[in-house]
Amino acid sequence: MTLRSWSRAVTAKKRAQDPHETGRSARNNERGEGRSKMEEVTMKDKAFLNDLAREGAIAFKSGRLDRRSFLMLCGLAGVATLAVKAGDAEAAANEIVMWNWGGESEKCHGDAIGKPFTAATGLPLKFDTSGPLQGKIKEMVDSGKVTADVCDADGFDAIALGKSGHLEAIDYNIVNKAQIKEGSAWEFGVGVIYYGYAFMYDTKAFGDNPPKGWADFYDTAKFPGKRSLYKWANGSIESALVADGVPKDKVYPCDVPRAIAKIKTIKGDSLYWGSGSEAHDMIVNGEVAMGMIWQNRGKTIEERTNGRYKMVMNEAIAMPGAYIVPRGNPAGRDNVMKFIQQALQVDSQLMILDCLGMTPSNPEAFAKIPEAMQPYAINSAQNIDKVIFNDPVWWADNGGDAVNAFLEAIG
Amino acid sequence: MATRTSRFNPYWLLVAPAVLLVLALYVAPIVNVLLLSVTDPKPGLGNYAKIFESDTVANLIWRTIRLCLITTVAAVTLGYVVSYAMLHALSGVRRRMMSILLISFWISVLVRSFAWLMLLGHNGLVNGALLSLGIISEPLPLMRNELGVLIGMTEYMIPYAILPLLANMQGIDPRVTSASRSLGASSAQTFFRVFLPLTKPGIIAASLLVFISSLGFYVTPAILGGGKVQMIAEYISVQLLVTVRWGVAAMLATLMIASVLALMYVLNRFMKLSVVFGGVAR
Repeated sequence: MTLRSWSRAVTAKKRAQDPHETGRSARNNERGEGRSKMEEVTMKDKAFLNDLAREGAIAFKSGRLDRRSFLMLCGLAGVATLAVKAGDAEAAANEIVMWNWGGESEKCHGDAIGKPFTAATGLPLKFDTSGPLQGKIKEMVDSGKVTADVCDADGFDAIALGKSGHLEAIDYNIVNKAQIKEGSAWEFGVGVIYYGYAFMYDTKAFGDNPPKGWADFYDTAKFPGKRSLYKWANGSIESALVADGVPKDKVYPCDVPRAIAKIKTIKGDSLYWGSGSEAHDMIVNGEVAMGMIWQNRGKTIEERTNGRYKMVMNEAIAMPGAYIVPRGNPAGRDNVMKFIQQALQVDSQLMILDCLGMTPSNPEAFAKIPEAMQPYAINSAQNIDKVIFNDPVWWADNGGDAVNAFLEAIG
Repeated sequence: MATRTSRFNPYWLLVAPAVLLVLALYVAPIVNVLLLSVTDPKPGLGNYAKIFESDTVANLIWRTIRLCLITTVAAVTLGYVVSYAMLHALSGVRRRMMSILLISFWISVLVRSFAWLMLLGHNGLVNGALLSLGIISEPLPLMRNELGVLIGMTEYMIPYAILPLLANMQGIDPRVTSASRSLGASSAQTFFRVFLPLTKPGIIAASLLVFISSLGFYVTPAILGGGKVQMIAEYISVQLLVTVRWGVAAMLATLMIASVLALMYVLNRFMKLSVVFGGVAR
């Protein structure tokens, strides 16, 4: 079929019966109050052309559209020619693309969520492992070329990007609120797992009188040696406040100047890490006597060093890991909501715990955390009252300033 | 001559596709990004005021310039020594030196930074050797500080210094130094009063190239700096990706581009840039 006759057929079909299309533009209108008429129109055009390209890809694959017409269509829709392998655009509608941080997580998310999800819906799970940082998600949505359906992000990203209109709202008719830990079912994201900032110490140095919390961590007179903290302020700010005597339930709203003053007291003795492997190296290479660490990484270190380095979970800062959906995700809202709902199921949650060391958010799974994992899991019976739960709303509103103040203080 | 240059030169047509490509794919997007610096979060020069208002930004700029200057001096000095040795080496040896140089030139900055991590670390090769020789009793802090960043940057930049220096040195007529010696100058005098002044264009070209390239260092400070040695590039990335302050990021990027262009302009007043980058003097 040629492009002209094919597209006429598609347009007619669309006009006649596409509830999805009207649904989406209605939602766009709802949130688009601040947007100009002009933008509104181009956004609609873009969405239409994208849909056309997607339909075109399906037609091309099934032989209803010739190759040249398909490429022309992609050009019209502004789909980058490099990405125009016929498969790409076609697949977008028929798969879930998860944007995560790579490494083990690809296998773990695939086994724990992807397999049961594909079995139930027939949609395969694919990955983009480049790390969904807030700025990247914003850029993707603003550009109108959304290639991911669900991002493995932080709670504060869900709040901040939700507020700025870059996310799809969670559909709590599909996602079950009762299966989410209290306080993590937000309008624009779901806290699917928990991870945390704990610290480790060298038992050779402090085995007889081990440090018990952040106050000891910041006390370099009593516990001499270097320290390491997270470079982008999360957890570091809170740890300093607790060390300075702020009660656990009064950490938020954070008194940033007070935290910075405390961090400056160990400035000469401190290093800062940006990745889990860097934090790992600093501890096991003896560069620091105590080091902040993501609690799942801490478990690995304890195991690999036969307990030479020991983790302190007391007063760890617990972070909700949020699944968020970029606005206009290719697989559609319903499909991705089903995916999030699958991630909350007890079996999936326990598999992620086993595979990645990320703690379940579904309260039904808390009691099923295996014995061996309990000391390392945020929401296990022995830890849940000891940790400090991060306030994503505070971080969404104040994170930018806090990070910059922190970077200045350590620089 | 004058009439020829005033008329349209048809050879421009041959260059036109390349120029248009650069304009469309490089200049236009960059201008777009730079515009953010005066439009995000609100129109105006608020982002630029931060240079004077915010200690963070001022410290950042100063630290970047300082580290780049030290890197430039170190890399050009070391590069000069290597180039001088290459100039006087037998051609077979020189060819082997050249291939080693180019291989190191092609190894990614990430790999090189991680290699330094292995060498300079607490339990690294350097500290291990010094400890076992009994020269030191405690490991030296060779990385996760400014020293580590400077070592990593300098090493990365040495090939950038050598290539223009060597090109310059090879263009010097060897009979000039022979003449100097035969007229009774000592070898030191010949070097300092004849050879060194003749390599001045090479030194300036190498310094310029190294300094400008150093301004954009991102990976090396991030890996070897222990989080405490932030330079402009890393800060821009944090503002883009983490704090989502695109206006500040764009302002710093604009500042960097402007300083690079200004540097080239100043240099152009002293010497023809085309010569510096290997063109022919006219």
